[in-house]
Amino acid sequence: MELNPLARKAPELAATQDLRGQLLRLIENSQNQDGGWGFFAGGQSRVEPTCWATRALAASSAARGHVDRAVSFLNAGQLPDGSWPAAPDMPSGSWVTSLACLVLSRCSTERRALAAGIQWLCEDFPRDSNLWQKLLSRFGSKQALVAHNDEYRGWGWTPRTSSWVEPTSWALLALAAAGAHPLGKEIARRRSLAVGLLYDRMCAGGGWNCGNPRVYGVDGEALVLPTCWALLALRNAEEHPHRAASLAWLQKQVPRINSAASLAAARMALTAYGVAPPASPCLSDYSVENVVQQGVHVTAWAAMALDPRFSWYSTSSPCGDGT
Amino acid sequence: MTQRNRELIPSFSRPASQVLIRKVARYEEDLFSVIHESLSEFRPPVTGRTVLLKPNLVGHDPQGIMNTHPAVIAATRESFLKLGASRVLIGDGPALDRDTQAILESVRLIEYTGKLGSDFCDLNIDAVERVQLGTRASRLKELFLPRTVLGVDYFVSMAKLKTHHWAGVTLSMKNLFGIVPGSCYGWPKNVLHWAGIGPCILDINAAARPDLAIVDGIIGMEGNGPVQGSAKSVGVLIFSHDPVSADATACRVMGLRPEKVRYLTQAATMLGNMEVHKIQQLGESVEAVRTAFRVVPEFQELAERPSQ
Repeated sequence: MELNPLARKAPELAATQDLRGQLLRLIENSQNQDGGWGFFAGGQSRVEPTCWATRALAASSAARGHVDRAVSFLNAGQLPDGSWPAAPDMPSGSWVTSLACLVLSRCSTERRALAAGIQWLCEDFPRDSNLWQKLLSRFGSKQALVAHNDEYRGWGWTPRTSSWVEPTSWALLALAAAGAHPLGKEIARRRSLAVGLLYDRMCAGGGWNCGNPRVYGVDGEALVLPTCWALLALRNAEEHPHRAASLAWLQKQVPRINSAASLAAARMALTAYGVAPPASPCLSDYSVENVVQQGVHVTAWAAMALDPRFSWYSTSSPCGDGT
Repeated sequence: MTQRNRELIPSFSRPASQVLIRKVARYEEDLFSVIHESLSEFRPPVTGRTVLLKPNLVGHDPQGIMNTHPAVIAATRESFLKLGASRVLIGDGPALDRDTQAILESVRLIEYTGKLGSDFCDLNIDAVERVQLGTRASRLKELFLPRTVLGVDYFVSMAKLKTHHWAGVTLSMKNLFGIVPGSCYGWPKNVLHWAGIGPCILDINAAARPDLAIVDGIIGMEGNGPVQGSAKSVGVLIFSHDPVSADATACRVMGLRPEKVRYLTQAATMLGNMEVHKIQQLGESVEAVRTAFRVVPEFQELAERPSQ
């Protein structure tokens, strides 16, 4: 499958690459002394923006120093159980563990931290998947309110909560990128259950919202960001009509997108499926200032989406081989 | 940094609370005059200080029925500036979609307020601080909350008048779920659901203690709220320095019994006044604006009379 439908007319490409260059420089310049990034320049270092910033920079060998410092930040912030907390001093790990594993699988030759993170993901079961909760929901009043197949399970945002589309998608991406692991069989089982969960939670007509496609008999509306992450996570799964329907939903939605974050994610998801994003709207419609105001994570998504080599998506190429 | 975690006052030693109801039929009316006059009644000590308005921006809402209306937000901002505030921030952390910019575009906030720049704070990705929850109403011992909320001089909860399919009603107290940062707890903030919505409402309100509550009931939402319900015209704005009183009054305006909303009855023991005799009603009477709201079947007991 062609993974680079971004080849466009030369002036447009030059404009987007100029934007990408500016965004990457801003990301580099906003790295904190501890190697991490905050959501905004000068803010407290957090795992999530650090991971997105690192993934955006990882395509460039010139950014190797920034990436190495980010990896050190991640290694220093890992909790004893192998997870990463969403903010400094938070006592337990969260979904950002998947993002950290994604970065380490590409950007670190030291595998212990990655292996511990993957193990934590394998052992982190959402609370709604345990037998007691299944019984409660089967015989309780909530069964009629939401329509889920509770045989499937993914990942929650925080431990001992419910499965949701975005953390499940990122965990799937992390497990796919991690390569060989002693828990290979368990990884395969969790991936299968999670893929089933994503398809079960698809909104009517395609696409995903946070993970509640139907409440009180009313269909929820799909949202761009969860749809993009789910499509990226399902990119290497078996063909499924829900995936095709969701890709079609996203293609229809793109002309109505009104934010840099959703546009960047849509561009990444469509490109992963070999679909050329429409010419308008495009990321260069947004000023650098506007993108940066949305946070380092959005700045990184935009830079990733504009990467003509799409190198951030490859699970095989290591950091820094993009330039 | 200011900690908003103020002392709780038991109900027996708490003075009566004032609640002001103003009739406003449409968002196109002169909201600035109404809101400025109403705020002046409460004499907010904002001269030279920073105010944070926390509207309810729950999702994409081109029709203007699920979110606090941008015209109300803009007029409130302008009023506080006229009252002498040095800076009026607007901040929220939408619960279901992390693309806050897309939500702001859908509600056309900037068209009403003008360019906000750093005066808008996405509370989902603000810097956070650990806050010990002294109330222990839920099983949560602590929450990480946005520094902007904890450090601001004057904090205003600006809710929409809505029913809610899990909580019964969502008003100025439930609105504070939007200060819990998604970057720590996700979209939705599911940890609060598992810890109990009602108890978490109490914990968060005790930790963040709004100085003023404003409920946008010009058009509310009934039925399967907070997102999928139906528009309900009521034509009111409700103001109070006591969020419990504001919400109890809002319930009465909706034809619902606040004493059947469990978190409100618990809030009345520690955070504010719910009983009619402890509320000094200003402006319109509840009876003059009462408009019965439909609730989902699980909350039928809230209704003063059977829903139509």
